Amino acid sequence: MSNTISRRDFLKLAGLGAATSAVLTGCGPAAKYVTRQPYFDMPEYTYHGESTYYATTCRECAAGCGLIVRTFQGRAIKVEGNPAHPVNRGKTCARGQATLQGLYNPDRIPGPIRQGRAGALSRQVMTWDEALDILAKLFQNTPADQMAFLLGPAPDHLYDLVVELAAHLGGPAPIRFGALSLFEGRTTLIQAAQELFGQAALPFFDLASADLVFSFGANFLETWISPVSYTRGLSTMRKGRDGRRGILVQFEARMSQTASVADEWIPIRLGSEGLVIAALARLVAEVQGRPADSFQEVTPDEAATAADIPPEMLYHLADRLATAARPLVLVGGSALAHRNGLQVAKAALALNALLGNVGREGGVFLSPPAPDGAPHSRLASVQEMAAFVQRLASGTVKTLFIHGVNPLFELPASLGLAEALKNVETIVSFATFPDETALQADYIFPDHHGLESFGYQRVMAGAKEAALSGLQPVVSPFHDTRATVDLLLAALAQAGRPLPYSDEFAFIQSKIRPLMTLAGGSFTAPEEHTFMALFQQHGGWWTLNDMRQQPSSPRGRIAVAMAAPEDGEFYLLPFVSPVLGEAGANKPWLQETPDPTTTVMWNTWVEINPKTAKKLGIKNDEVVRLIGPAGAIEVPVYVYPAIRPDTLAVPFGQGHTAYGRFAAGRGANPINLLLPILNEAGDLAFADVKVRLEKTGRKYSLSRLESRIGVYGEGLEEAH
Amino acid sequence: MKPIDLSLFGAKGAIVEAAEGKWGMAIDQDLCTGCQACVVACAMENNVPFVGEIDAGYGRSMHWIRIERFWEGEYPEIRMTPYRPMLCQQCGNAPCEPVCPAYATVHSQSERINLQVYNRCVGTRYCANNCPYQVRSFNWRDYTDERVNDAIATLKNQYNPDVTVRRRGVMEKCTFCIQRIHRAQDRAKAEGREVQDGEFAPACAQACPADAIVFGRIDDLRSRVSRLIRQKHGVHYLEELGTQPRVTYLVGGAS
Repeated sequence: MSNTISRRDFLKLAGLGAATSAVLTGCGPAAKYVTRQPYFDMPEYTYHGESTYYATTCRECAAGCGLIVRTFQGRAIKVEGNPAHPVNRGKTCARGQATLQGLYNPDRIPGPIRQGRAGALSRQVMTWDEALDILAKLFQNTPADQMAFLLGPAPDHLYDLVVELAAHLGGPAPIRFGALSLFEGRTTLIQAAQELFGQAALPFFDLASADLVFSFGANFLETWISPVSYTRGLSTMRKGRDGRRGILVQFEARMSQTASVADEWIPIRLGSEGLVIAALARLVAEVQGRPADSFQEVTPDEAATAADIPPEMLYHLADRLATAARPLVLVGGSALAHRNGLQVAKAALALNALLGNVGREGGVFLSPPAPDGAPHSRLASVQEMAAFVQRLASGTVKTLFIHGVNPLFELPASLGLAEALKNVETIVSFATFPDETALQADYIFPDHHGLESFGYQRVMAGAKEAALSGLQPVVSPFHDTRATVDLLLAALAQAGRPLPYSDEFAFIQSKIRPLMTLAGGSFTAPEEHTFMALFQQHGGWWTLNDMRQQPSSPRGRIAVAMAAPEDGEFYLLPFVSPVLGEAGANKPWLQETPDPTTTVMWNTWVEINPKTAKKLGIKNDEVVRLIGPAGAIEVPVYVYPAIRPDTLAVPFGQGHTAYGRFAAGRGANPINLLLPILNEAGDLAFADVKVRLEKTGRKYSLSRLESRIGVYGEGLEEAH
Repeated sequence: MKPIDLSLFGAKGAIVEAAEGKWGMAIDQDLCTGCQACVVACAMENNVPFVGEIDAGYGRSMHWIRIERFWEGEYPEIRMTPYRPMLCQQCGNAPCEPVCPAYATVHSQSERINLQVYNRCVGTRYCANNCPYQVRSFNWRDYTDERVNDAIATLKNQYNPDVTVRRRGVMEKCTFCIQRIHRAQDRAKAEGREVQDGEFAPACAQACPADAIVFGRIDDLRSRVSRLIRQKHGVHYLEELGTQPRVTYLVGGAS
C-alpha cells in the first residue's frame, strides 16, 4: 500500500454525480481519517461552501441501506440515501435520517473506561494502552472455550473477524442477536423455508409485482426486516401495473401503521392467524378444483369463529385470492409469535405454493446468497439466547465480550440475564452508548460510531441483487474511540496469538479481494487498490442481475391449530415502535417524532379499544398497571379506536433505565411482561400472552401531536 | 430589467398566481405510508430544534411538516383516512402575509414562494393565527441555545450551515428547502444551463421511501410534478379560501 495518495483522493465521492470523479488508486492507514477542524481552520481539501459526500451503510438496523452522507468541513451534516444502492435506491427511513443524532449524541462514551459494573457510567478513564493490555491478558489467560462473544444483528466485518478469531483460538463461534429479529419472527421464517423448501434462507416477498397481498402480522412498512425496501415494493404495487392498482389486505388484531395504509384491515383474534391461513388455503383449493391435503383438518367456519370474523368474509376473501392474477401471502411478526408460529409460517408459504406464485414475479423467493459465497448465518433465536444465558449462569464463561447489542433491554428479564451476568468473571463491552448492558460491564472499550467506521455488511434481505454494502468513515472519530476490529487484532498480536492481518483495513481488504474475480458486478477494476477505492466510493459491491433464489417445490405436512395463551383478561400485543425501533430512544428527534398511528411522542402508552375503556371506566391518559405472567408495568392509556376489544397493545422501544439522557427513565418496556415461552423454531411467542389490567388512580398526560384534549386536563369527559 | 407588472402584486406586495417561475409539489396520499421519514429528514436539513416532552405536549413542537390522519367510523367499521403530510402550502395568495406588521413573511420575487425573514420577525404570531393549514411553528424558547439545552453542545455539529438557526420569539416554517433551490440554480448557472427537472429535491421528497412526494416546476408542463398535478384526482386543501396552494394532493390512487 502506498501512503502517497491522500485521504481526499481515496474517499472523495463527487457528490451524486459520481460519474465525474476520476478512478483513484491507493490507500493507506495513515490517511484513513478526515480530520475535523474548526471552521476557521479548514483541512486543505475543503472549499468554502462546498460539501463533500461519502457513501456508506446505515447501521441503525440490520437491513443495510446505502447512505450518502453530506459532510461540510469535516462534519457530517445530512444523511441521504444512496441512489445506486440495491436495498433502498436513494431513500431512507426516519431512523436512518436521525443517525447523526447518534453520532453527535451528548451521551456517547468518550473513551475507554474501567466501568466495574458500576450501574452508572464510571469516571475511571483509561488509556488505550491499558485497555490493550487488559484485552491481551484476557486472551492469554482465558481458556478459549470459556470465552464468549455476543454481537449485534448485522452480518458485518466484525462478525467475520470474530468467527475467525474464535476458530483461531479454538473457542465457540460468536452469536448475534437483536430485538428486531425477535419481533420480526426472522428465525421462524428461515426455519419454515428450511423445512418447506429445504433451504435455510429468508423468504423474499415480491410486493412490487403482486396485485393482491394478504399480510398476516408483518409490519413491513415499519421495522420488519427491510422496511425501506418493502415500502418501495408497496409503492410500486400501488402505482399499478397497466394502470391496475394492487390491493393490500392486512390481518392483525390491532391497526398497525402498516394496517392503516392497507386497503382493508381485518381484525382477527390473536392466535387465529394459522387457522385463517389454512382455511383460506382449503377454500382456494376448492375454488381452483385442486386437492389441498395439507389443510383438510381445518373447517372454514371454525376458523372464522376462532378469528372472530363472519364466515362469509372468509369465503369472500378466499374467492378474491383464488381469482387474483398475482396474489401473494405475506407472514411475519406477531402472526409467528405463537407457540405454533412455525406452522403458521409454513402454512403461509404453502398457501403461496398453492397459489402458484413460488419463485414467480410477484410471489415468494428466497433472498439472494451472500455475494462472497459466505454461508448464511442467522441470528440467534430466543431459545439459543436462553441457552446462552444458561451457559453464563453456570459460570463456565469466564470472559464475555459484547458488541452492538443491549440484551439487558432487548431480552425479557425473565430469561435471567441480569443474574447470569454476575457469574461471569469479566465482561468487556464495546458499546458506543452507555446502555444498560454496558453499565454492567467491567470495561467499556467504545467502538466508533457507524459513520466513523470502516467495514462492510452482507445484505441479507430487501434486494434482488446479492450485495455487500460498504462502510467508510465520513468524519474522523468524534471521541477517543477505537475500532473494535483494530483493537482485537492488536490485542491478539500482543497476546502472542496474532491473526494474519495488520489492521482492520487489511482485514476488510482481504475479504473484498475475492469479489474482484466475480463477473456481473456493479463495477470492475484491474487491480486491488482501485477496486477498494471503488468499493468505498460506490458504497459497496452488488450484482447487476436478479440473484433471488427459486425455492424448490414445498414438501412436508402442516398442522395448524388455534394458539391458546394461558388465562388472563386481555391479549397483549407488544409491537416495535415504528419510529424508535429497538435503539432509537436516545435520539431526541426520534423521540419527538410522532408515532404514525397515535401521534404520541416521548413516551410509552397502552392502546385500549374505546368500548373496553368505557366498560372499565378508563379514560385517556389514565395510568394503568399491566400485570403479565413475568412482571408488571405502568403505562398511560391511549384510547385507540382501531384495536380489538379483547386486545391491549404496547410499543417496544422505551423503558430504558440507562442509554443516555433522552432515553433513561422514560416509558416502560413491555418485553419484561413476558415469560420465555417459545414457538417450535425457538422464537419468542410474544403474542401468546394474556395480561390483567389494574387502575392506579394516577394520571399522566401523554404528549401528542393530535388534539390537545387531555393535555390541559380538559375535555376528556366530552371526548368519551 | 423587465418592467414590473403591478397587476401581479397582491396585498402588501405579495405576488399572486399569475407570476412565473413557480415551484410546486405533488403529494400522493395513496402512496404515503405515514412513516415520518420526511418529518425527520426535514428537521435534519433545516436545523429544526426539538422541544422536549412537556413543550411538545403543549403543542410547541417545531415540525415544519407533519403527518395528519383522521378516523372515520367506529370499531369494527373503522377506517383511517390516508396519511396526509401537511407542510406550508406556499400559497399564491397567502393569508399569513398581509397580517404581518413587520413584513417578515413575504413573497419572494425570484422563487415565487412564501418566505419567512427571521430577523424581521418580532413574534406577534399573527401569521400562525391566520394560517388555515396550521403549519407555522413558533420558537417559544431558545431551543438551539446550549446554555438552555446543554445537549446542543455536541448536537450542533450536525447543523446545516446553509440554514439559519432560529432563536426565541421567531416564527418559522417550511421554505421548500430554498437553500437547495439556490444551490441547484447556482450550479446550473455556473454550468450555463437551466435547472433540470428532478435535479434536486427538498429533504422530504428526497427521503420519502414511498416516492409519494414529487417536487419541481409547475410552470413547466413537462416536469414530473406538472404531469402529476394535472391528473384528475389532484386536490388543493382549503382552496375555497382562495389561498392558491402550491402543494397538490393526489387522492384515491391509480384506478
